[in-house]
Amino acid sequence: MRRNVAIIGCGQTKHTSKRRDVNIAEMVSEAVYNALEDAQVSLREVDAFVVGNMQGFGGIAQPEQWLGDSIGAPGKSVIRIATGGTTGGSVGQGAYYTVASGLHDVAVAVAWEKHSDSREAGATTGLLHVGLGNFFHAASYGLSLKNLVATSAVGAAAGVAVFQAVFYMHRSGCSIEHFDMVAAKARRNAAKNKYAHLQWPGCTPEDIARTEIIAYPFRYGHICPASDGASAIVVAEENLARKKARQPAWFKGLAAFSDEENSLQSENFGGVGVLDPSEQKGCWMSATKAYKMAGIKDPQKEIDVAEVYQPFPSQELIFAERLGLFDEGTAWMALEKGETDIDGRMPLDPSGGVNATNAIGSTALQRILECALQIMGKAEEHQVPRKVSNAVAHGWGGVTNYITVTVLGDSPGR
Amino acid sequence: MIRRVAIVGYAQSHHQHNMQKTREDMVFEVCKEALHHAGILREELDTVITASTDFLDGRTISSVFLSMAVGAFLKDESKVEEDGTFALYYALMRILAGTHDVALVEAHTQGSTFNPHQVTFYTLDPLFDRQIGVLNDIAAAALQARMYMNRYSVSEEHLAMAAVKNITNAAENPCAHRKMPDVSVEEVMSSKVFYDPIRELMMSPISDGACALILASEERAKEITDKPVWIEGVGSCQDAYLRDRNIQNLDSLQMAARTAYKMAGVKEPFSELDVAEVSEKFAHEELMIYEALGLCQEGQGKNLIERGTTRRDGEMPVNPSGGALGADPVCATGLIRVIEAAKQIRGEAGGYQVPDVRRALAHGQFGICAQKNAIFILGGNGS
Amino acid sequence: MGYVKEERPTTISVEGTWNIGSYHYKGSKLMEEYVKGLKQKKLIGSFCPGCGKVIVPPRNLCGRCHRIMDRRKIVSNRGTITCFIVTPPMEKGKLKVLGMDPVETGLIKEGEVVIPVFVKFDGSDSNTDTILLNVDPKAVHIGMRVKVLWAKEPQGALSDFEGVEPV
Ligand SMILES: [Zn+2]
Repeated sequence: MRRNVAIIGCGQTKHTSKRRDVNIAEMVSEAVYNALEDAQVSLREVDAFVVGNMQGFGGIAQPEQWLGDSIGAPGKSVIRIATGGTTGGSVGQGAYYTVASGLHDVAVAVAWEKHSDSREAGATTGLLHVGLGNFFHAASYGLSLKNLVATSAVGAAAGVAVFQAVFYMHRSGCSIEHFDMVAAKARRNAAKNKYAHLQWPGCTPEDIARTEIIAYPFRYGHICPASDGASAIVVAEENLARKKARQPAWFKGLAAFSDEENSLQSENFGGVGVLDPSEQKGCWMSATKAYKMAGIKDPQKEIDVAEVYQPFPSQELIFAERLGLFDEGTAWMALEKGETDIDGRMPLDPSGGVNATNAIGSTALQRILECALQIMGKAEEHQVPRKVSNAVAHGWGGVTNYITVTVLGDSPGR
Repeated sequence: MIRRVAIVGYAQSHHQHNMQKTREDMVFEVCKEALHHAGILREELDTVITASTDFLDGRTISSVFLSMAVGAFLKDESKVEEDGTFALYYALMRILAGTHDVALVEAHTQGSTFNPHQVTFYTLDPLFDRQIGVLNDIAAAALQARMYMNRYSVSEEHLAMAAVKNITNAAENPCAHRKMPDVSVEEVMSSKVFYDPIRELMMSPISDGACALILASEERAKEITDKPVWIEGVGSCQDAYLRDRNIQNLDSLQMAARTAYKMAGVKEPFSELDVAEVSEKFAHEELMIYEALGLCQEGQGKNLIERGTTRRDGEMPVNPSGGALGADPVCATGLIRVIEAAKQIRGEAGGYQVPDVRRALAHGQFGICAQKNAIFILGGNGS
Repeated sequence: MGYVKEERPTTISVEGTWNIGSYHYKGSKLMEEYVKGLKQKKLIGSFCPGCGKVIVPPRNLCGRCHRIMDRRKIVSNRGTITCFIVTPPMEKGKLKVLGMDPVETGLIKEGEVVIPVFVKFDGSDSNTDTILLNVDPKAVHIGMRVKVLWAKEPQGALSDFEGVEPV
């Protein structure tokens, strides 16, 4: 017999490239207090925190030890979870387990990133540090400079995604125009989300297509920004959830299966055995388990909205298929038909998604948060125009080998 | 607790200075050995939770190249930061939630990669303490020790006696780092001063090491082993930041212990616990921990040391394995305490076995002046 | 000037540095075997007796089988492109690598395109990432057959493997 657990409040900050008006502690507490206010829960009722960000990006180790006081953490259990791009998803799932375990009744999950605190954007230096140990190792064996230039020219994070996009294009038949369409949709949707970063009302694929190519098939207009921002959710057990929220967003299923490193290299510069980084077996397995827990048999019919983690537009298509929302190799056709628009058959990222707002640590938690808003009917301008019974939130991270999949619903029933 | 959960297998490395093994090999070996110790296959794991930090490992997303080594290939996994006891806490929550049955928990640090004391400097308030630049964990511990010693008339000899007890215990533990069977109070008191009154032998050594542990739900635990070590109580708590807290007490440890005692039904810890394994990163912390755990009255920690109560052959043995003063592979240290406590219950502690252990306490901590603490109360089949 | 400024339009910014200069990573000796092979113009991969996979460059352990990949296999220096990226023409002042401008230093010619590729060498079960050289960028395609371009005088370094070129 599992305990029913729900999200009863959501809070986030406005996302921009530079939040110079606040420091990290102030920014994080802004999200926490917004969530507590939304949930109508006082700090005294909270008995656990789950927190996370990419610590290297802000340059502070274990930042919750310093900023815990600002969010009311002292005297409570505080677990810090960090799993790269999926950090927010892992933090949100951590809050579920915190309450589902019966050890705690009300938990706050908060995740954030403040890229602008680093002189060079964390997305460049911070992500290079992922492979820093490998780099020094290879350098000691005479790494070819020209090879290094090639890696740098494509960009460490983008590099993995570009290869992944090429694989997907090759096997599905989609083209660069579809990526323009995804990016334009993300910016249009973001214009309806007051917390989003890159807002562009009426943005068209042609607008995106006018931007310069970085490395084919990616253009500048395809790439997510580096944002400052934080997001938080209040998670509670059933009794309190029913008392506090008119429509709680219930956790119905969740999983986070990791795969082998998808490309680049393994520890100490070894090769990897995943031949197609767009295959994403971990995502497929996570979705399968999450749907099973949620009692969802046909996600194409039963999921009403999805928040897919898509810093690069190709990933909205790749992962939507792996989440079972479209048949293999067909997501781009649905995109063409407008099925993934806010008012489409299967709305993808009505919030604008990661492509419009990327505060790395927080981003995957925002996907869960946005799904909760859709279920609670609180998404305001970007609320999808239909009854949302089930929503799926996705996150990816690491060397595209980490995945979080979380299914939320309007009832706890399985 | 809504489900009974037990520890069914574990392994740890031979902690040492500058281990001649890569991070991947070290981690792989303990995970493989823990699975072997439990007598299960990787395929039987439902979830894997690891613990490490980016600053200590020197890699952004410290876990990213270790998924294969820890056995998390196509497994539902996650990574908790800081001490391994927090990873254990998370793994326990996953099993209690009813979504998983068997978990592997892994924690590691190679202290030789980057000076862990320097990392503590980066945990300070970046706008103030880091700018002033005088504090790190050792300096803060020295302030704490001085305040504590001053308040309760504790002498440097008391600290040295605590260090001698743990370091001599470590000599019997093949996995411990410090090998000084004949260390004396005089030797500790004449070792190098880092920040007065903290001396080299009153501090934990900088170790490379890893450990892994297998956790299982009641049904699975009974299938896997006839010697399960049950988790009877848990508690986790964070204190306020250095400047807003009274560092002469370990309030968050006290709160975590109370939560765990209540869950386990422990009313008189001194008489009901048979052994405790605690993470004392500095000798004075051991005395403070006695008090926070309720093994004695406030300010009386020195008496337990003076009387030899917490020696291996004493009435309430603490750290028969040598504790953190014996070896401190930072993120692994707390989880090693859990393993050592479980070994005592299963009677697997060899040369440092305490006779007839039924119930044991294990403690993990992280942060300057033990800002975060986790407590586990473990019991054998008979407890 | 005193420490207290008269006006503070925003929260203060405080300068600080994150010194990561003194890390000591532990590397495996596998790479040594690999570069010794390169010196003899041989590509050494690690072989897993559990699942039979061959990984190039060699990796230490197989997560599928959760075991050390303790055997080696030499794979062909010919293979197939499984994926590629074509960068826009490189220009001066656009990119800094290790503090230097690759076009300015002559490592890359002005206007040259760089083509990072994944190659599956015959006999291996992995993608090896490298660069494609001596090719017309328009002719690159998935499935293209390539071979290793060795340095003129291999010295037992990763740079002995300069890249791949069309067969
Ligand atoms: Zn294998």
